[in-house]
Amino acid sequence: MTIHEQRAASADVEHVIARLLLGGAVAGIVLLAIGVALMVLNGISPVAETFPAFDPRTLLADLAAFRPEGFLWAGVVILIGTPIARVVGELVTYTVRGDRILALVALAILGVIALSVVAALLVEG
Amino acid sequence: MIAGLVLLAGGAAAGVFGSLLGLGGGVLIVPLLTLGFGRPLREAVAVSLVCVIVTSSAAAGAYLRGRVANLRLGSVLALFTASGALVGALVAFVIPERALAGMFALLLAYVALSMGRAGLRASRPAPVAVPVDVDAADAVAVGTGTAEPAIPGPGPEPAGHLDGPDYRVRRLVPASFASLGAGVIAALLGVGGGVINVPTMNLMMGVPLRVAAATSNLMIGVTAVASAIIYLLRGGLDPYLAGPTALGVFVGASVGARVAHRVDVRVLRLLFVVVLAWTSLQMARRALGI
Repeated sequence: MTIHEQRAASADVEHVIARLLLGGAVAGIVLLAIGVALMVLNGISPVAETFPAFDPRTLLADLAAFRPEGFLWAGVVILIGTPIARVVGELVTYTVRGDRILALVALAILGVIALSVVAALLVEG
Repeated sequence: MIAGLVLLAGGAAAGVFGSLLGLGGGVLIVPLLTLGFGRPLREAVAVSLVCVIVTSSAAAGAYLRGRVANLRLGSVLALFTASGALVGALVAFVIPERALAGMFALLLAYVALSMGRAGLRASRPAPVAVPVDVDAADAVAVGTGTAEPAIPGPGPEPAGHLDGPDYRVRRLVPASFASLGAGVIAALLGVGGGVINVPTMNLMMGVPLRVAAATSNLMIGVTAVASAIIYLLRGGLDPYLAGPTALGVFVGASVGARVAHRVDVRVLRLLFVVVLAWTSLQMARRALGI
């Protein structure tokens, strides 16, 4: 693929990624806004001394029960997941287009993020 | 209730100031939460990282649609900033809080100094006309970069397919090391890292300033994710604190971007230098325990 072809292909990728990033940011913010509204309704102070720990196993139950922490955690997870989804999108696109170097770069970034998860869990343990 | 409103307003102020001055939200949010609300520094850093992701995703999307950012270059450098962020977030849990406060004080002083110099430069003829509306463009506003477009042409270590339509990327290897450092600082202090990313791309790699700022914005989202995950899974992120603050930052950044062209940034910058200098002093006091 010539440099000009790569640039043309990049334009398509950038458009898709732009929509993904904006969509993720808005979705995350909407969930956070609902969570904040529920905090107000439940009289929860944002500067309380204690706060609920993140537990993915209770996330759906918290959402179904309209608990503020459910919406807040869901918002945070979507916000954190948005750049990750972007990198996954890049990996797929570059792989399909045969741009092996950038596909490897995207894969390596996902590897670093995966390592973050592992490191956090190991250190916690 | 009042604390929530103050947080919301504080986040919004950080978003407005950040978008008007091109500063990272972390520079404002971390002091707000630590000095204003007495929260532990690590907790403030975690919240700030979430805010960085918010502003990065929203602004990077807009930059990509406008074809300003160099996605390919951003991906390569993000690998290094993310690696640095992984290290930085792990180190943050073993560094004493007072040492972190000292580092933050130094960062604030550096940003205030750079911004003051940029203000002096801007008061001279031929002002820089670079739109700043995002977290990552720290260096645009603080003046650590140059507004001159990079000179296209050959340089050492050309990076080939990372080049833009009218510039060549060079010195990829040293820039990668700088990005690694930017990631460590971003994760330790809860800032975007644009203060390092933008000058690295602009001055070291020959990327035009506007492209560098936009590309940095794209990178800081991934960088913040690598460290935010660690704070999240280690129980260092307070959702009650993060919710109103991130919401405020989002609203403030949106408003700031819309009014940016109507505001006299010179006055705002001067005010901000004073605020940053005062905040740096308070952080230094916290570091020294006085």
